Amino acid sequence: MEPHCPRKKYTLKTENPQIAWHSRFDLQGITFFLFIILTFSSLPALEGSGRDLDYWGNIKRFAGQFFPPDWSILNQTVGGIWETIQIAALSTGFATIISIVLSFGAARTISPLWIVMPTRMLLNVIRTIPSLLWAILAVVLVGSNSLAGVIALSFYSTGYLAKFFSEAFESADLKGQEALLNLGAGRIQAFQYGLWPNLRPIIWSHCLWMLEYNVRSASIIGYVGAGGIGLHLKLYAESADSWNKFSMVLLCMLLIVSILDLIGEKVRKSIREKLEGQASQKDS
Amino acid sequence: MKDSPESPLIEVEDLGLRVENRWLVRKLNFAIGAGEFFALVGNSGSGKSTLLKTLAGIRKPEEGSVRVNSPTTLPIGMIFQDLQLADGASALKNALSGSLGRHSFLSTLFGFPKYELEEANKLMHTLGLSGKSKQWTSTLSRGERQRLAIVRSLIAHPSILLADEPVASLDQDWAEQTLQLIKDRQGHQNGCVVCSLHDLDQVEDHDNQVLQLNEEEPEKWSLIAQERNTP
Repeated sequence: MEPHCPRKKYTLKTENPQIAWHSRFDLQGITFFLFIILTFSSLPALEGSGRDLDYWGNIKRFAGQFFPPDWSILNQTVGGIWETIQIAALSTGFATIISIVLSFGAARTISPLWIVMPTRMLLNVIRTIPSLLWAILAVVLVGSNSLAGVIALSFYSTGYLAKFFSEAFESADLKGQEALLNLGAGRIQAFQYGLWPNLRPIIWSHCLWMLEYNVRSASIIGYVGAGGIGLHLKLYAESADSWNKFSMVLLCMLLIVSILDLIGEKVRKSIREKLEGQASQKDS
Repeated sequence: MKDSPESPLIEVEDLGLRVENRWLVRKLNFAIGAGEFFALVGNSGSGKSTLLKTLAGIRKPEEGSVRVNSPTTLPIGMIFQDLQLADGASALKNALSGSLGRHSFLSTLFGFPKYELEEANKLMHTLGLSGKSKQWTSTLSRGERQRLAIVRSLIAHPSILLADEPVASLDQDWAEQTLQLIKDRQGHQNGCVVCSLHDLDQVEDHDNQVLQLNEEEPEKWSLIAQERNTP
């Protein structure tokens, strides 16, 4: 028999303390607030030339000159794009080799602090300089040709790839390597068979991304004389009535960049799926 | 398996293991001879993995000593509980990497000798991995990865094989076959196996000695020597 319990009336007291107004101003709140102020204070930049121009009419006339694209320049355009791809491929290749070496120096798990700090500082400096500026410097050094493009993008890409690679080294699971050392393998053997297989897909994924990026960059640096399709773009943009040629180049570039994007994404997806497979199997 | 020779492969004297302020085991004494299968049993947290790591030389004991007497170039091989495989490599590469200790850097730079390949394929076939050799290790199931880690350790030909829960993720049939393979291989090369196991039925089938660790009272471990599995 259940004991008899006299029923009591309970009232649920809900506390509704007022949130202090200043508690919203954490680092995120402050930076957002500053961004809003900066945006509004930048409105004068929309003033333009101050002349009474027919913007809409200009756009229609300008866009009209793009069509139809001039197919007569297809061969030169394909040649220019091929040179752009060559610049991108070579610079990505050189940057990958240099970056693997530099990333050893930039990874805290591999090198001592007195090597890590200056290496990271060097990479920061390289990344600070935009690709167009690297291209101008390279043109000054070796003249106006595709070699300048390769030099410029090699430096630019090294700044990024070495950073990505060193982060991959730092986050890599070292246990496979340690297990092989315990089984009597040498240090280089343990790296080759225990660690490198885990790093290789991540490094390859970064390289593909950099190649895609460099194809786009190599299209622009031609503007300052560093070879590639950018030079064609500059010539057509500066000569009168050549916007249909300009649009032809843009069309070809769009096609190439889309194909590269598609291939890159497919490869990266395959890598991602395999790595996710790894994660799910560990959980099971 | 063969009878133990006079000089044991592992000798443990008055061993004491402590994690932070807690003693896992104290005054532990045992010896393991060639050809023996030595089973470690005990609850989770009783110190099985810590004892195996101490035998492997990965950690130092707080008290006492561990002596390893092995004539081979690779005295100890260990199968870790977290397997420690290279997930981005193929299953076959992982299996073969166990043999690296027998080869120079240059001879394995671009591949492995044919006889190593044959041994790896044979062992992978025995443990049901023959169809998986080209697959990325990350895409294998937990049980397949566990069998692969065992293949890698066996290919290393250690005279003492330390195995931390080597069949924890395997079903009964595979667990049975895998333990038998480990036992046969080590017995064949006059080595020994030290194996932590959860399932007492598995222990009964294979052991020569069973060490039962006591989580509550570190000094009250018990060692049971069994003769029925010794031919």
